[in-house]
Amino acid sequence: MKVLILGGNGMLGPWAVTAMKDRHDILLTDINDPYPEYQGEFLKLSVDDIDGVVDAAQGMDVIVNLSVLRPDRRLAFDVNTMGNYAMMVAAREHRIKRVINTGPHFQLVGQQYEDWDFDLNPDMPPAPGTRLYAHTKALGSEICRVFSERHGIQVLTLMYYNMKHTWNLGGPEASPTYHEDMVPFSTAWPDCGTAVRAAVEVPDERLSSNFEAFFVFPDLPHRKFNNEKTRRVLGWVPRYHVEALWNKQFRLPPSGLHEAF
Amino acid sequence: MNLLLTSAASSVAQLLASALGDTHKLRLTDLRAKATGEIIANDLDHGGDIDDLLEGIDAIINIGYQGQVGSEKALIDYHTRAMYNLLWSASESGVKRVINVSTLRLFENYEENLAVTEKWRSTPSSQDIELLAAHLTECVCKEFARDRMIQAVNLRFGWPFDSSDKADTARISTDLAVGAVNAALESQELIHWQDIHVQSKVENQRYLTNTAARLLPTLAEKL
Repeated sequence: MKVLILGGNGMLGPWAVTAMKDRHDILLTDINDPYPEYQGEFLKLSVDDIDGVVDAAQGMDVIVNLSVLRPDRRLAFDVNTMGNYAMMVAAREHRIKRVINTGPHFQLVGQQYEDWDFDLNPDMPPAPGTRLYAHTKALGSEICRVFSERHGIQVLTLMYYNMKHTWNLGGPEASPTYHEDMVPFSTAWPDCGTAVRAAVEVPDERLSSNFEAFFVFPDLPHRKFNNEKTRRVLGWVPRYHVEALWNKQFRLPPSGLHEAF
Repeated sequence: MNLLLTSAASSVAQLLASALGDTHKLRLTDLRAKATGEIIANDLDHGGDIDDLLEGIDAIINIGYQGQVGSEKALIDYHTRAMYNLLWSASESGVKRVINVSTLRLFENYEENLAVTEKWRSTPSSQDIELLAAHLTECVCKEFARDRMIQAVNLRFGWPFDSSDKADTARISTDLAVGAVNAALESQELIHWQDIHVQSKVENQRYLTNTAARLLPTLAEKL
């Protein structure tokens, strides 16, 4: 398939590209230059440039939106809200059947859910609250929903929370801490990328509606969030389970048995 | 009551301003490109002078539908980012209530025979950018109410204003709209997020207004 990636030079982009580059034709776009290692097609493009996104989407089968901007209020709205509008206009204009949108879990699970409840799942009504990142992404998602409903465009929204390096389970902003309280929605970077691939490739008949959301994280024992739908519908199988973060015996088994007989 | 009226250069705001001015102290504002005369120019940018605009204000009347004109990008930006900035500052300034003036056109895709109330989900258009923008402003207001940062009354008015055409089964009179805003300002019966549908009592009335009659009893005779 021909896949247009918006905002592909952020943190998730390289992992999504790695997961898809041997299976699909990718046009990577971003307002910033690509990583030096990237070898494919690239177009410099701001996601809030409606005409530019429409032009870039010509001839594409799928649009993947990985763009995100958090701290600045104007840019957050431009990227997280207006960017989704541009993407959906492009999908409508070119009759693109499927869009993969991404965002943080709290564009749906605001504090009123997270501080209170368990078994939180991606089919709950969104309650993002007013936190800038969550709020702007939720508005973008609502734009996607309206377009999806009106034009029959499939929108698959992948939600993430806490991403971890595989080699030490540290995150982008913090060093790893083992055997302490963790974010019970943590995902290894490579698995974040394969989830994008799974969403691009999932057969139509597996989707129960044109607007579906998924929580992307491996099996964790907390039961705070629920990833069942992601496994069942997308067929996504995470390779990493970040077990050192939640199993105190993971590194030093009390039996002393370190090797198989 | 000290009221801030947004999009004050728009026709809807002018209708409201001329009627509310007798009973309330109004502060009018609009974008710099439109503000003239007594209308205070403010683009509702983050870091701008929104706080000055809100000083001493008890409640905001926000024109959430057809208050602005412009490109699709300009309208979405105003109805999302500018609303966020306004409500954030309002919350910090201690403003207690916002009346968002929205539209029942968000339900126009439901057939006329259906008994549509506030419990029905709106069906905003993706191609009528004014309707999409109105819907997005409702979303912004709702999240501020959800976080208990401000009380939001979402008045969805019928359309058009002051029509005498019997085919306009969702029409509304200016008197009723003004009465609804006044009653919504005064009511103590409202929860933090409150949708209220308001249209005139006409033959083949399209939308039910029982919620307005219950929560805004001064209007009951007109509904």
